[in-house]
Amino acid sequence: MEDIIAVVDSLFRNRGIAITDDRKALFNSFLEAERNQALIDVIMQTGNLLMAGWKQEERIADLQQQLLRIPNATVGKDYTATLDFQKLGWQDMVQTAFSGLEAIGLAYDPATGQISGTPTQSGDIPLQFLYRLDTEKEDASLHAKSLTLTVNPDPKSLWKNLESDTQDPYWKEDHVTKFAPLGDRHIVVSSKRGRSHANVGSFREDDFAFDSLENGWQIVVVADGAGSAKLSRKGSALACASVVEYFKEEAAKTSMAGFDAVLQQYLAQQEAATEKELNNFVYNNLGKAAFTTHKKLEVFAKESGATLKDLSATLIFTLWKKYEAGYAFLSFGVGDCPIAVLNRDVTEVTLMNWLDVGEFGGGTRFITMPEIFQNKQFATRFGFKLIDDFSYLFLMSDGIYDPKFVVEAALPKISKWQEFLADLGGNNEAGTKVDLNPDNPEIAQQLSQWMDFWSPGNHDDRTLAIVF
Amino acid sequence: MRRLPVYLLLDTSGSMTGEPIEAVKNGVQVMISSLRQNPQAIETAFISVITFDSDARQLVPLTDLASFQMVDIKATGTTSLGAALRLAATSIDNEVTKTTAEQKGDWKPLVFIMTDGIPTDDWQSGLEEFKKRKTAYTVACAAGSGADANLLKQITENVVSLDTADSQSIAKFFTWVSASIGVTSTKVEDSGKEVTGLGELPPPPSELNVVV
Repeated sequence: MEDIIAVVDSLFRNRGIAITDDRKALFNSFLEAERNQALIDVIMQTGNLLMAGWKQEERIADLQQQLLRIPNATVGKDYTATLDFQKLGWQDMVQTAFSGLEAIGLAYDPATGQISGTPTQSGDIPLQFLYRLDTEKEDASLHAKSLTLTVNPDPKSLWKNLESDTQDPYWKEDHVTKFAPLGDRHIVVSSKRGRSHANVGSFREDDFAFDSLENGWQIVVVADGAGSAKLSRKGSALACASVVEYFKEEAAKTSMAGFDAVLQQYLAQQEAATEKELNNFVYNNLGKAAFTTHKKLEVFAKESGATLKDLSATLIFTLWKKYEAGYAFLSFGVGDCPIAVLNRDVTEVTLMNWLDVGEFGGGTRFITMPEIFQNKQFATRFGFKLIDDFSYLFLMSDGIYDPKFVVEAALPKISKWQEFLADLGGNNEAGTKVDLNPDNPEIAQQLSQWMDFWSPGNHDDRTLAIVF
Repeated sequence: MRRLPVYLLLDTSGSMTGEPIEAVKNGVQVMISSLRQNPQAIETAFISVITFDSDARQLVPLTDLASFQMVDIKATGTTSLGAALRLAATSIDNEVTKTTAEQKGDWKPLVFIMTDGIPTDDWQSGLEEFKKRKTAYTVACAAGSGADANLLKQITENVVSLDTADSQSIAKFFTWVSASIGVTSTKVEDSGKEVTGLGELPPPPSELNVVV
């Protein structure tokens, strides 16, 4: 009764009718009259309806304002996002739906609140979340809350593949893959322009060369032109060619023939003196090859009006020859490209060189830098190893080394090389397989395909030489 | 994978109310959308947003471009640039991976600062902390006449200024930031080299005055 009195009292008051004390009793009996009770009921009910209506209005206004975010999607990548109604405080929603999802390949399940599917289209996609509250009639139209779903493009689709300018005087093929016998082994080697270069139509800067030399020596060379150098594509090509050329000249042939005796002497008496002589031999012969290459680059730079720096390239090469005692490997390296020999059982890896790597990258050295020849570290750039028998010899540019080995510390680990071989054998995301068998007629094509592996952030030129 | 961390230090002090703050929000949004179209940036660039007014907070931790979602920002309070610099320093410590023998760390971070006023806190001590961290480059933008470009010069040599903090100028700044991040992500990936200063970035548009 009290609240009824209060309601009617305030109603009357608002209309300027005050109930004075002496009329209180009369007022009470007035309210108790059956006819007036019915009228009061109507007032109360209408008031309740009005308030419920207002509450709902406010609730919807709150919901419209509430921030609704769903995670970004990516074209071609499976997507799921769930609306957590508890967490969102949306327990009062009885019917929900989405509009705009189907068009981009997604679907919404109202039972679970889950959006799922594989987006087909990128962009900031406008969506509408539709809902009805438990306080609303079943046939009431749904409220719409706008939101945006960001769908990223498939990163792979963003890379352009623009041909390099074949009219350029220093043009070279974007992709080269070769397979050939080499000594008592075979070589398969592939050099491919990186996506970052293909994206802007620039050139492959890596290069390689291999050959059979006289007296049973074999040689493989890999060079990686510096990205920041204008003519590094030419620098790497010239460096590779000139190393092979050097060893084909009479003077080098004669000099290299002397290795047999030096090695025999070393094998007969393994002591400091014979070892020193052997190391000197490697230093003198390979060092001369490296220096001659440097000089050739210098001459080329002068003649073509370029600077030596324009031709910046890293350079690794290894020569080997089969002896009764095993395979003798000689090597030289400047830059960040590794040379590795795996023993017959693939239980041991022998690294032929150390890598020039800086703390924050970019710390590499190039064959074009005159200072490397004066540096006291120069002598350590050479390698000699005698290995009973080998299963694989690898030379690679950092375009392979970076994604596959990541850090220098991984290179001495045989397990990493075993993984690498398994990767070549098809154990990779794309399932591409290289059957390293000389009778495999597809071998070159297989390696070429394998070289296209996807690795985020690694889109440099790639060169990989495998002797097996 | 080596990430390219990018820290945006944005002034959200009271003076930014209205057009400037809306322009900043919009600028970040447009920048993110355009970087998403860059194949190198979408793979390598990670963005963090630090705002500063009466205090500084990291609104968005270092997040890959694909997942990045801009948070609503409001303009209020004073200009605690020092706190923002200090927060940037600790964020770099916590979020940027260092190179060790066993792992390849991230690229050195890029830092972009935008302010329309004079710092109201002890900014030198924040700067001292910030300077102990290695960044590839830091660019500071003095937006409008209320900012002190010479003061920003003490933070970094790379200072640009906008004559007015209107939406068009602010938009131009972010377009240029976007292009700079794009160029840097291409450069680190392509040549393995970091960009170190303004000279290697795309030329700023005419609305941006390079402060020498």
